[in-house]
Amino acid sequence: MSAAIRAERLRKVYPGSPPVAALKSASLEIADNEFFTLLGPSGCGKTTLLRLVAGFESITGGTLHLFGEDIAHLPPEKRPVNTVFQHYSLFPHMTILDNVAFGLRRLGKPRQEAAGKAQEMLDLVQLRDYGARLPNQLSGGQQQRVALARALAPRPRVLLLDEPLSALDLKLRQSMRLELKRLQRETGITFVFVTHDQDEALAMSDRIAVMSAGEIQQIATPGEIYEYPANRFVAEFIGDANFYQARVEQVRDNGATYLTPFGTRLAGPLVEGAEPGRSVTVFVRPEKVTLTAAATEGNLPGRVRDVIYLGDTTDYRITLEQGGDITVRAENHKDGRPLANPGDDVFVELDPSALRVLKE
Amino acid sequence: MKQATRDIRILPGFNWVTLAFFLYLYLPLIILVVFSFNASRSATVWEGFSVDWYFKAFANDDIRRAAANSLIIATVSMVASTCIATMAALALARNRRIRRKPVFSGLIMLPLMMPEIVTAVATLTFFAAIGLSLGLGNIIIAHTVFCIPFAYLPIRARLQGMDESLETAAQDLYAGRWDTLRLITLPLLAPGILSGAMLAFIISIDDFIITLMVAEAGSTTLPIYIYSLVRLGITPEINAVSTVLLIISILFVGLSYRIGKKR
Repeated sequence: MSAAIRAERLRKVYPGSPPVAALKSASLEIADNEFFTLLGPSGCGKTTLLRLVAGFESITGGTLHLFGEDIAHLPPEKRPVNTVFQHYSLFPHMTILDNVAFGLRRLGKPRQEAAGKAQEMLDLVQLRDYGARLPNQLSGGQQQRVALARALAPRPRVLLLDEPLSALDLKLRQSMRLELKRLQRETGITFVFVTHDQDEALAMSDRIAVMSAGEIQQIATPGEIYEYPANRFVAEFIGDANFYQARVEQVRDNGATYLTPFGTRLAGPLVEGAEPGRSVTVFVRPEKVTLTAAATEGNLPGRVRDVIYLGDTTDYRITLEQGGDITVRAENHKDGRPLANPGDDVFVELDPSALRVLKE
Repeated sequence: MKQATRDIRILPGFNWVTLAFFLYLYLPLIILVVFSFNASRSATVWEGFSVDWYFKAFANDDIRRAAANSLIIATVSMVASTCIATMAALALARNRRIRRKPVFSGLIMLPLMMPEIVTAVATLTFFAAIGLSLGLGNIIIAHTVFCIPFAYLPIRARLQGMDESLETAAQDLYAGRWDTLRLITLPLLAPGILSGAMLAFIISIDDFIITLMVAEAGSTTLPIYIYSLVRLGITPEINAVSTVLLIISILFVGLSYRIGKKR
């Protein structure tokens, strides 16, 4: 089974003065039937990577294979991939049915057959009775579903989605996540999804590539990315984190022991260039720390500085007595009251296993 | 109280000057149209309603020939200049390799501001130098050239408002460049193209100076024929022909405006 997409040291530089290296060097392999997400802030190169796969931009360097075939020099209309555009890009002068049938017609399918297939796709995205309308007679969410149907109708081998949910409001976005996941399962087509929204990425993806500054920072499953981010950028971009400096205490063959600023020891993976005494970054997610009133052995005393109410949870910014800050995220009392108020003296319970060492 | 309700944005006298301007602009035209229906030969004294002058004008072989010439020239120039303007607009908007696009765009529009007499003399000299003598052909070539910027304006405006990602989407859905042009770009550009074509048509049918310079014997157009008649004295016949020209112009400008505004 060859990979759906294999990119090696893929590079894109936009000419100009100075030239802009939108994608510095990206190597990745996307498996067939995978829901793969390119995640990163704007300008990280995720959309450029998508456009290179679609063929809208010519590659500056590296190789690009689709199911083992070199597609680097094929124009977009010769590539068996289709795109769902950020702003839908439905043809405004054609009916919904003609929009969805467009790709099939261009592939040489007879009018009848194309219209039949297009109707099936409209059924699939729950727009059965909308075929005769024009795009501007549909709501944003409906147009989005038409764009999906149009891109899926020619049965591409890979579907590219360029921030397709970013123009929708929150509730619609959440229901579309489920719908996209369902469509991917039902069609068995490889999805490559571009987004800057970490929640979207975590909720839908089989694997995520986190990108920054034209480079891939990490490729892993949502769980791995969240629990074991490869570097500080990934740890900060996905979820929230408290960062601290720890010291290397002892180096072993398959790992190392680190001395945390909280006086605890932490066994972790070997960090590059680790030698006793060197400083490394460790982090802890705010929801893995607990707030307590008990002055038990090992709990860290501190004072609540800020309380940020988030609805289901509340963030407490705490200044630790030993110096430094920590953010604790905790559920509220059942009656909705927060656990503490600004100025309260509290204790923070920090399980050593919740701390992670960043490799880079 | 009265002071408080006075709108400081209304300035005394401005309304009257504006009204006088409208009268000055349209009264002569109205008189021309009215006297084209005059029963007598006089272009100044009203002696009852009649449409005789229209029939007379239409029966006049010279007028018919001139009108036919004008229509042929305007139609061919319209088609040719609109085609070229469409291509130029697409080339300048879409080709990433063309640098300094504003300069090219400016060069296309520059003739709009050039003194027409200069263009006319230059065209005449040029045709004489290369020995071009195609009868109506000469006029058609000259008209096509100066109609291009007029056709270009609405097409470019339409193109600027067009979402380029639509063409990208068509390509993504297996349409080659000609299919994309035929199925997406041209249909979406159509209002601009039609609007440009109509502008080109009326600019051509109404042109006098360049035509006068370039026209050879036997290729007289309507404006030139009207001018030659006027030198012999104004008759209601001229009023009738002028009224027909006026109506054609209003019709085309109106259509061009309507189509150009359409989404």
